[in-house]
Amino acid sequence: MLDRIKNWFEIRIGLKDLIRAQLTEYRVPKDINIFYTLGFVAMAAFMMQAATGFFLLVYYVPHSEQAFKSVQAIMTTVPYGWLFRMLHAVGSNLMVAVVFLHLASVFFMGSYKKPREMTWLAGCLMLLLVLTFCLSGYLLPWSQLSYWATTIVTTIPTAFPYFGDYAAYIMRGGEHVSGVTLNRFFAIHVALLPFLFISILGFHLFLVRRIGISSPPFGEKNEREWTEYRHEAHSDGIPFYPHFVFREMFMVMIFFAIMFFIISFMPTLFLPEDANTPADPFRTPARIKPEWYFLAPYQMLRLIPNKLLGVVMQIIIVALFILWPFFDTKKERNILKRRLLLGVFFISIAMWVILAVWGRYS
Amino acid sequence: MKRRGFLKLLLAVFGTTAIAFLTYPLARFLAPPAEKAKGKQISIKRSEILAGEAKSIALNNTPVIIINRQDKGFIALSKVCTHLGCIVEYDKGKKRLLCPCHAGTFDLEGNVISGPPPRPLPKMPLKVEGENIVIG
Amino acid sequence: MSRIKLFSIFLLLIAVVFVLAEARAVEQADKSTCLECHASEMMKLEFRNIPGDWKTSWHYENRVLCHDCHGGDPKDAAAAMSPQRGFVGAPKYKDVPEFCGKCHVGILKSYLESGHGKALKSNGTGPNCVTCHGSHKIQKANIDIINEGLCGKCHSYERASIMKKALFLTEKKITETEKDIKKLKAGGVFTEEEEKNLFSAHAEFRTLFHSVDVSLVKERTDEFAKKLSLLGNKIQNMLNELGFRKNFSAFLMLIFLGIGVGIFLLSKTYKS
Repeated sequence: MLDRIKNWFEIRIGLKDLIRAQLTEYRVPKDINIFYTLGFVAMAAFMMQAATGFFLLVYYVPHSEQAFKSVQAIMTTVPYGWLFRMLHAVGSNLMVAVVFLHLASVFFMGSYKKPREMTWLAGCLMLLLVLTFCLSGYLLPWSQLSYWATTIVTTIPTAFPYFGDYAAYIMRGGEHVSGVTLNRFFAIHVALLPFLFISILGFHLFLVRRIGISSPPFGEKNEREWTEYRHEAHSDGIPFYPHFVFREMFMVMIFFAIMFFIISFMPTLFLPEDANTPADPFRTPARIKPEWYFLAPYQMLRLIPNKLLGVVMQIIIVALFILWPFFDTKKERNILKRRLLLGVFFISIAMWVILAVWGRYS
Repeated sequence: MKRRGFLKLLLAVFGTTAIAFLTYPLARFLAPPAEKAKGKQISIKRSEILAGEAKSIALNNTPVIIINRQDKGFIALSKVCTHLGCIVEYDKGKKRLLCPCHAGTFDLEGNVISGPPPRPLPKMPLKVEGENIVIG
Repeated sequence: MSRIKLFSIFLLLIAVVFVLAEARAVEQADKSTCLECHASEMMKLEFRNIPGDWKTSWHYENRVLCHDCHGGDPKDAAAAMSPQRGFVGAPKYKDVPEFCGKCHVGILKSYLESGHGKALKSNGTGPNCVTCHGSHKIQKANIDIINEGLCGKCHSYERASIMKKALFLTEKKITETEKDIKKLKAGGVFTEEEEKNLFSAHAEFRTLFHSVDVSLVKERTDEFAKKLSLLGNKIQNMLNELGFRKNFSAFLMLIFLGIGVGIFLLSKTYKS
């Protein structure tokens, strides 16, 4: 029976050839390591976010007077609503963590270098989109946390002279965060960002396949000059299917195991009390903090005495980061042979962690 | 090969369980909610509440007050104070509702006049049908 | 100089900026001229403790400020104690119930009808609010305010202890329900309705106490017990639901772990 189905497709699209080219004869470097699975895990996480997001959309009401109640209804009245809400809320945080790890490992292995600069650019754009997803999605439950965290973030553009206030005005749809803000963030979160993200993801995946997966840079390597296009085929590598597919699936299962661990034993990890209190525009909670992935930039802004300088510096750092393949054009991909870069890598991570922890506890 | 076969079987079992445990909730989640018993409606006679007077009833376990306002007709408000939940009392003379716990004061629209309550009293759906007032 | 070196210097400069900059902790201080004077060296000793006492009180926790009870304008030093701005000063002994009753309306009513209230109004003796609750160090009311030291000051403790016994079971149930609600909150549930329900019952019960009429309390204890047990059942159901969710998710976690292990083992059988 299965053979007959396969044959039906074979006649029409050459299924056998497709499987051969994309799965069994597609080879990955034999020294490929587990970090190479993180991109796939991030994509799986995104698909789960999209699915759970859609399900939540069936019951969520994006109006300031009903948003909080609708989320509570999902958590208490709708059968298994809690499951999809928790998957979406915990999932968003886990996805950001996976994306960060993916980024760090690509950086560490120098895979952003020629010829893969565009892949890195697309990836960084996706990171920004993911963070925008998080920002816009955060407002939707219309809790105290949602409202005040959004107020803080939409105040940041006001640091700029001349157009800063106008930019904040456009973001919020008014002088303050209100139902108007909720509507625009909802539209962005549900319609604009998924479209943008999937487009760039498609481009990113195309590049990965077209150029070919990079090899880990460690060990004896003899990298040829890139003067004309060639596809890195890894003819002495291991078959993508089943070996690497197994590893990718394994990591996805670990991702879900961690997800369900948090949902079972730490359900309030990403939902503190303020996330469970309806938004009150007249009462700022005592200690609002942004989510963990925004703590480092938040603390940095708090430390720099001049608001404009702080925002400008952040923009410069982000630009540096996105354009990094154009700054670091040395051929050597093995970071262990480049002590300075290795130092910069670890110090940057350390600074990020220190700022984040500082931001959390001060 | 025997081990491979066993492992494939094991994975099939686990995989099916996982899918079942995610699909069943999804099916329940997406199924239209059971027709919620719309909560009982309560009907009382217009003549029971004279102008300026009020009557307290329990609507689906919530204390509700129906006021016959002299200028604006009937209104049904929840008696649960939006501050901490105490039950407000009707002050006919001062045309307001007063919460005995921390003196939260509401007007006869339910809006907060003074005191700690953060939000107005919720209004209950009320319809006048001939001789009767139907709440709920 | 290589671009990496340039970048490292840039990073170093950022670090220097941080080290030199001071963290600006923004204090959400309520500007209060009342506190500024009353906590200062100039103030006479018996008043100087008041701000400190107030800061340990339940009123402070609920953001009840000086002018909320005493009137006056806290933002303007000149008008801080001006009668035109509603300043009433410290109430005299006999006027304390009305002073507190500005907000605690229901309790005032119950108190005035009680033996305590009648004693105060008729001959100026008898306890007022401050006698049992203090003035600035007011703590969250609890059943142990009824104790021999306090009640025994005016009469034998016996009747107070009968009252305490009458209140005891209901108070205990209320405390347990409060704990359960906290558990629900810790599990991420939105408990506003339940909290309001409990507060309403508790407040009504406390108001009842101020009548110091034991037979009235005993008569209405059943009614409170019923209300509380209904609420308690609702909360228990919610706690059970939380337990179910935990088990459900934990089961799924194990399934995914199992699949992960299975995939790992299966992959080993494919070692070429």
